[in-house]
Amino acid sequence: MKPTGHLHPLSHIIRDINSVFAELGFVFADGPEMESTKYNFDMLNVPKDHPSRDMQDTFYVECADPLGEEVVMRTHTSPVQVRYMERFMKERAEGKGDFPIRVIVPGKVFRNEATDATHEAQFYQLEGLMIDKGISIGHLKGTLEYFFAALFGGNVEVRLRPSFFPFVEPGLEVDMRLTGADAPAKLKDRWIEIMGAGMVHPSVLRGAGIDPEVYQGFAFGMGIDRLAVMRYGVDDVRLFYNGDLRVVSQF
Amino acid sequence: MKVSYKHLQDLFGGKLPSPDAVSDALTFHAWEIEEMTKVGDDTVLDVKVLPDKSAWALSHRGIAKDLSAILNIPLFHDPLAEKPVLEPISKELSVRVDTPGCRVYSAALIRGVTIGPSPAWLKEGLEALGQRSINNVVDMTNFIMFGLGQPLHAFDAGKLSKLSIAVRAAKEGEVITTLTGETYTLLAKDTLIVDGGDDTPLGIAGIKGGKHAEVDIQTVDIIIESANFDPRATRLSSQRLRLRTDASTRYENGVVPELSYFGITIAVQLITKFCGGTLEGYATTPYTSRAPEKVSVALPKINSVLGLSLSSTDVESILKRFGFVCEVVGDSFVVTSPFERPDLVIAEDLIEEIGRIYGYEHVPSIKIEPIPLREVNKRFYYAEAVRDALVAQGFSEIFTSSFRNEDEVKLKNALASDKEYLRSSKGIVENMKEALAKNAPQADLFGTDQIRIFEFGKVFEESGEREVLVLGVQSKQGYVAKKDKKVLDTALEAVQGVLTGAKGDGADGEPFSIDFTAALETLPQPTAYTTHKKTPDVTYKPFSNYPYLTRDIAFWTPVGTSAADAEKVIRENAGALATRIDMFDRFLKEERVSYGFRIVFQSYEKTLDGIEADALMHTVSDAVRANGWEVR
Repeated sequence: MKPTGHLHPLSHIIRDINSVFAELGFVFADGPEMESTKYNFDMLNVPKDHPSRDMQDTFYVECADPLGEEVVMRTHTSPVQVRYMERFMKERAEGKGDFPIRVIVPGKVFRNEATDATHEAQFYQLEGLMIDKGISIGHLKGTLEYFFAALFGGNVEVRLRPSFFPFVEPGLEVDMRLTGADAPAKLKDRWIEIMGAGMVHPSVLRGAGIDPEVYQGFAFGMGIDRLAVMRYGVDDVRLFYNGDLRVVSQF
Repeated sequence: MKVSYKHLQDLFGGKLPSPDAVSDALTFHAWEIEEMTKVGDDTVLDVKVLPDKSAWALSHRGIAKDLSAILNIPLFHDPLAEKPVLEPISKELSVRVDTPGCRVYSAALIRGVTIGPSPAWLKEGLEALGQRSINNVVDMTNFIMFGLGQPLHAFDAGKLSKLSIAVRAAKEGEVITTLTGETYTLLAKDTLIVDGGDDTPLGIAGIKGGKHAEVDIQTVDIIIESANFDPRATRLSSQRLRLRTDASTRYENGVVPELSYFGITIAVQLITKFCGGTLEGYATTPYTSRAPEKVSVALPKINSVLGLSLSSTDVESILKRFGFVCEVVGDSFVVTSPFERPDLVIAEDLIEEIGRIYGYEHVPSIKIEPIPLREVNKRFYYAEAVRDALVAQGFSEIFTSSFRNEDEVKLKNALASDKEYLRSSKGIVENMKEALAKNAPQADLFGTDQIRIFEFGKVFEESGEREVLVLGVQSKQGYVAKKDKKVLDTALEAVQGVLTGAKGDGADGEPFSIDFTAALETLPQPTAYTTHKKTPDVTYKPFSNYPYLTRDIAFWTPVGTSAADAEKVIRENAGALATRIDMFDRFLKEERVSYGFRIVFQSYEKTLDGIEADALMHTVSDAVRANGWEVR
């Protein structure tokens, strides 16, 4: 009996994410999972020996970076923002392409924290970045509403609250609510805290060679595992990483 | 931080709306409230002050000040409104700082206090915040810390060799016993408060007081400390000593040195009022305040970042609610940051203050126009093509852990001893073997007798990081060379159909890896993604952890009986425990069709007994016969 093949649920979601964002012209960017503290923290305006580094418990790797940097397992996909912006500015200087920057980064990240049904030490994150002249929180709101509607169905409301992430200013927490007949019953009519976002910090832009007096934009980051939990109702995020076909075969 | 609603209310002279309204105001305009608890006639809000605002908002005054801007209600009493005067200067007490670890050290000598229990309001006030009452003087210093954000400490002046306090770097290996009796061994990068006469350690600077000069029931004269310690040094010491206190949290978040003057004068005022005694005088070290930061932001920039159309008047009125000193120059606002707010440095800092007070709910969403895709991600494009090719071969995709118990690249701070290493290309193949071994015995659950799986994943080796693809096949009863190797070979061919020239790295018939990163190098850059339908909106069903049983049935049917017809009869009679019904055999012989079905029985509640499965099969057989079909 030849079995039926199944994609991993997170691959399904990443496939959908890419389809939705590619239509808007967002490039799928990626970068290393083993990252220098320079890209994981410094270039993202997370100072050394500062309490904001505590926001993300970090795995440090026993190996010498050629540049003498400490090496970590990336705690977020945000370092790829910087890597992409640097590459973009280099190519732009060579006459290849111009603003806007529109990027998504679906990728695996690591946090050194105890695991339970809602936390894994490894999980997937989706980063989004858009930089151009005059990009505002309004564009962030519009983009997220479009994305959530495409992924979940139904009418989407997005609610923003103040928050803090060192690489954005202002920093925002994003809640989402799905309403209407098309909204999936398990998510309908309630506010769900879904991700962090904000307007890219001028130091981050400057560090990547972009003039923050001219260009500005938004960034967001959310857990893909969490999107999968919401969309499919999987009750334990650890099930995504245990190689059990009793999970995968349902997708 | 825990915040007492009653304490906030005092700062507003009773003008605050209900605790729920305060909680909502903070949630949507400042920071999250993690919890609200009724404590006696008070409500305690657990406020998650954001790191960038922790220099000034880890205090009732700071939170009240922000609420005042949010709700547009002035503070009834702002303890920071008037500049404190440290007079008289003490004739007896001296303070000396010999380390950059201390930015300013203010102290006061109070003679003749009466140590005793705290008044009820103070005791209850601290207990509401989860603090244990110790005695009136110590409680008062803590109360002021939670009120104002300035950590304070009280020493028993009678226990010092002379009325002198010094701050210096610790000596390597120097030992101190803290107030609660634990001993700590220090390094030269730690900072100590010591007796200025005989150099005895009195406290770990900014972190915790020592046992030596503890205030107790016999104490008569006290020295109050209101100092400021370097945020970075405090953080490093507190982390290394694994000693995080309310004081160290405030220092490492950069509470400003100027606050120490407020702390010391308020402490003198309240301690002499509630604990008796008289002030002999103050002593302080010189400190030059930084020049107030002037932050400028233009109206068009504010609107362009927030996506709003605020007028100049709107912005001015918001800045006024904060009480900021503000000049309007053309279309720009020049704000002088208040001394206690080191977080207001750049234009964006002000934009945030304006945005959150005005309310992000007023930002209209803007739809962005699609633009052509600048580039296709080559890695993702080919990985997707391989996924589709393998799924067509009956392979399923798994994700396994990036951590292993033994491998090449080690973590410095692993979660557990069996997760100390990152997987290498060999490690990920081991993960695959483990997954095969785990899934193979349950193959029936997937309607097969052979597990076929693959994984795309990063591996970490001394040479660096790369992505590999791993393939594995194993039959239910274990590896069957004849059957499993063929499937693996065919799968490799299917992969090679996408990744031209890709080679498997592994022993014959064993699970193997393909260096995906290397294989990509020779492939052409794709120009467009293959379009996919939106993937299905499956609702996941938790699986049973109990073992399952299988039963097979084969029967003859007349020609024209479809597999679906046959399956329907089984499904209707096998009961709810039948989790799968799979056809494994079908053939035509002498004008009849034979069907073979395998039924998987599994319960969510218990381990099934063979007798139960047999009884269910009995019902199924009877139903098959009732259709006129012959059970073989």
